[in-house]
Amino acid sequence: MSRGSVSLAAFLWLIIAFFVLYPLSYLVLESFKISGTDSWGIQNYLEFFKDAYYLKTFGNTLLLSMLLLVTTTVFGVPLAYILARYRHRGKTLFTALILLPIVLPAFAGVFAFIIFFGKYGTLNLLLMNTGLIDKPVNFIYGLHGLVFIQSLHMLPFIVLGLSAGFTNIDPSFEEAAEVEGASGFRRFFTITLPLCTPSYLAGAVLVFLWPFTDWLTPLILGQVDYLPSVSYINIAYHFTDVHRKYMGIVAVVVSAVVCISLFLLARWWVEKRKYTGLSKGTTSEGRVIEPGPLVKSGAYVYLVLIAILVLLIPIVLGLAAFSRRWTFEVFPTYWTLENFRLILLESPGLIKNSFMFSGIALVFGIAFGLPAAYVIVRTRLPGRDALDFVITLMLAFPGIAIGVSYLLAFWHDIPLATHWIIMPLALFSRRLPYFLRMAHSSYLQLDPSLEEASEVSGAGKIRTFFNISLPLLLKGVLVGVVMFFIMAFQEISTAIFLYRGGWETLPIGIYLNWHRGMEFGIAAAMAFLMIVITFILLLIISRIGGGVLKAAWGSGEQ
Amino acid sequence: MAFIEIQNLFKRFKEVVAINHIQLEINQGEMLTLLGPSGCGKTTTLRCIAGLEKPEEGDIIIDGQPMISQGFVPPAKRGIGMVFQNYAVWPHMKVFSNIVYGLKLQRIPRKKMRERTTKVLELVGLTGLEDRYPAQLSGGQQQRVALARALVTNPKVLLLDEPLSNLDAKLREELRFEIKSLVRRMGITAVYVTHDQAEAMVISDRIAVMDSGNVVQIGNPTEIYKNPANRFVADFIGTMNFMSGEVVEILADSSTVLVRTEFSEKLVCVTPDGAAAKPGTKVYASIRPEDVEVFPEPPQATENVFKGSIVHKAYLGNFLFFFVRVDDTMIRVQAAHNLPQEEGQELYIFLNPQKCMILT
Repeated sequence: MSRGSVSLAAFLWLIIAFFVLYPLSYLVLESFKISGTDSWGIQNYLEFFKDAYYLKTFGNTLLLSMLLLVTTTVFGVPLAYILARYRHRGKTLFTALILLPIVLPAFAGVFAFIIFFGKYGTLNLLLMNTGLIDKPVNFIYGLHGLVFIQSLHMLPFIVLGLSAGFTNIDPSFEEAAEVEGASGFRRFFTITLPLCTPSYLAGAVLVFLWPFTDWLTPLILGQVDYLPSVSYINIAYHFTDVHRKYMGIVAVVVSAVVCISLFLLARWWVEKRKYTGLSKGTTSEGRVIEPGPLVKSGAYVYLVLIAILVLLIPIVLGLAAFSRRWTFEVFPTYWTLENFRLILLESPGLIKNSFMFSGIALVFGIAFGLPAAYVIVRTRLPGRDALDFVITLMLAFPGIAIGVSYLLAFWHDIPLATHWIIMPLALFSRRLPYFLRMAHSSYLQLDPSLEEASEVSGAGKIRTFFNISLPLLLKGVLVGVVMFFIMAFQEISTAIFLYRGGWETLPIGIYLNWHRGMEFGIAAAMAFLMIVITFILLLIISRIGGGVLKAAWGSGEQ
Repeated sequence: MAFIEIQNLFKRFKEVVAINHIQLEINQGEMLTLLGPSGCGKTTTLRCIAGLEKPEEGDIIIDGQPMISQGFVPPAKRGIGMVFQNYAVWPHMKVFSNIVYGLKLQRIPRKKMRERTTKVLELVGLTGLEDRYPAQLSGGQQQRVALARALVTNPKVLLLDEPLSNLDAKLREELRFEIKSLVRRMGITAVYVTHDQAEAMVISDRIAVMDSGNVVQIGNPTEIYKNPANRFVADFIGTMNFMSGEVVEILADSSTVLVRTEFSEKLVCVTPDGAAAKPGTKVYASIRPEDVEVFPEPPQATENVFKGSIVHKAYLGNFLFFFVRVDDTMIRVQAAHNLPQEEGQELYIFLNPQKCMILT
């Protein structure tokens, strides 16, 4: 245990304390404040859990979570199975398409679906034109629409976890069942699926928590009675009644507590029954099946349907971006570059801000993440597991909680929030795990003897890091860098509380343009721009190699 | 008629031929080992018998029932039990549930199920561990669970795919004998796949040696060791000195030939099974290290005696091992007794003509 790594760990803890622990405890403390007085108490919580409205909101959110989990599971299990097991053409393409929503901003999907599935959206108009229906069908406004849109957004998390599970199961487990006489469904339900529960659960918990995090989708669909949306409204519009602010904060804390406890519960359960690594000699491809023609074509139809739904997002947004006045028409008829002209000429600052804030956050992320990964993987310092734990928890923490806590904590006592640096700082702490997990797992794969050999040859720890470790880690680290950037680039939950005039990013621009109501075209063009940028970044990732999964969930093993 | 007949079996993976039209007969109650280096097709053959792979051509008859030619019979309907290389003990089920899985599918009455499971647990020596999860067992115990699971359904055929290769050496040797006696006692027909020749020698009634998709030789362990069919078999099983040369003359009894090698004009050798060899044929004069005799002084024999020098000499407890150079040829010798000579000194070796055979 060298003095160098001790002071490094101390420095990392200092950063965590200042940018994570301090604001979050500030948030919790604030929730116990009683408005209009200087006293503290649990009144806010009592009121929250006595108030029929907040209870309903809480219930709604839970219900949405459950429905979301059921739909993503029902659609995700066959999808993952097809992708992992069936031998078919275009496997890579379909996998990429189905996983796409992970990297698309959630609000982009909502806008696209409003245009396509809305009351007078493309689909309704098409159906009415053909005479199949007289009145528009309500496809998306309501609980069912929320389930639909959020399911599509969260489906990849289930599919990623499960298909990795299906691929990684040792084929002999299933062959043994086959020899014992279990065929088809029976084998799937008694052997395959139970063995995949850990990988399923990893995705399922993120799905379940999404309604406790996503405040924007319900809001855009006109559904406000969900916990995060209520928190947002209460906190953002508390001019009339300061008490509302405290109820908003309580709602945020409640969401955060639900998220953290469920996340920990799932993690504990997964740790308890880790089946991987028990058997030796797995093939890399896993078990691959050649299905019969009927099953195969059915699988294709299914893949294509889901892929179309995903593709609708960029296509619809693209159409909207290059047109104006797309209302009451099946497809736009007035084509123009006006939207882009407006963005580039009148508010180029948004693009600049987006790149600048995400870029600075990324620099912070690397400067923190690499040493953190080193401390966690390569040293025996006490407290390194706690460090890993705190950072991983940020995966489950609702963005809105971080945004609010930064606003509160860096306002009076430490007035960081008056400077634009607060924007990249918030992005940094919100997206921290994305980079760290990548660096972490690459570090685990790096044989320590390679570094030891360098030290034996006379190189110091720092020289060894730059000459040996970093070049070998580069691939994993680069994927982490790009993922971090993508996620920071589309972040809105934290930024929406912290931005001031002149600090707007693209996502905030999209939100504001939608909010003003009239500028849907500009919002669509901005969303389209973000998708294009994300696409380019994704291309870079696929060039480097590595997995989106690792970045998104990034279990340390393998 | 044989209990299992493999007829003209052919299987390829994309461009690679895994099994090249092999014929094999396995008798009832015998333990046959498929032995060969990795990639020789032994595991694929076993998986074809199990029904986990579909061959392109040929048929497999088990107990008079064709498995392929009259409609493909799935693994579940073949009456087999199988032990996998990596145990394949289901980690999410307790030992008891693992073993009882197949019986449940056969809808055996509950009471009988319990009886049979108890019996088989006793047989493999796992009594008392029913309620453990596989992760709480050692590798050897997991392999016993796999064995119990394969046996509990009273299969007609037991298939074992390198079942011991993941265990450490001590345990491996112990379990070899255990599996052998267990299978003997149950009188079950068994096919065993391994790449470990010592394991094959211990466990098998007969061994089928495979090389690049072909069965090169079938026979009991003694036959395979004493009369290898070719250089490949001789090299794979045990250690053999190969001296490349050419047949120069066939002697009157036709089973004895003279071979010209790098160090000798007339090395006297036997031809295995009296197979005819024409003069001019390129062959390997071959002799096992334990069949080479060493002498400090010239021995009395007149033929196949050569002077060489000791390159290495190693004491291995129950015997001595020499590397002897004769001209430029290195010959390995395993001697039962010590010699006064040390490394670098000269000695005489005698390649007993009765033990020195020609192989191709």
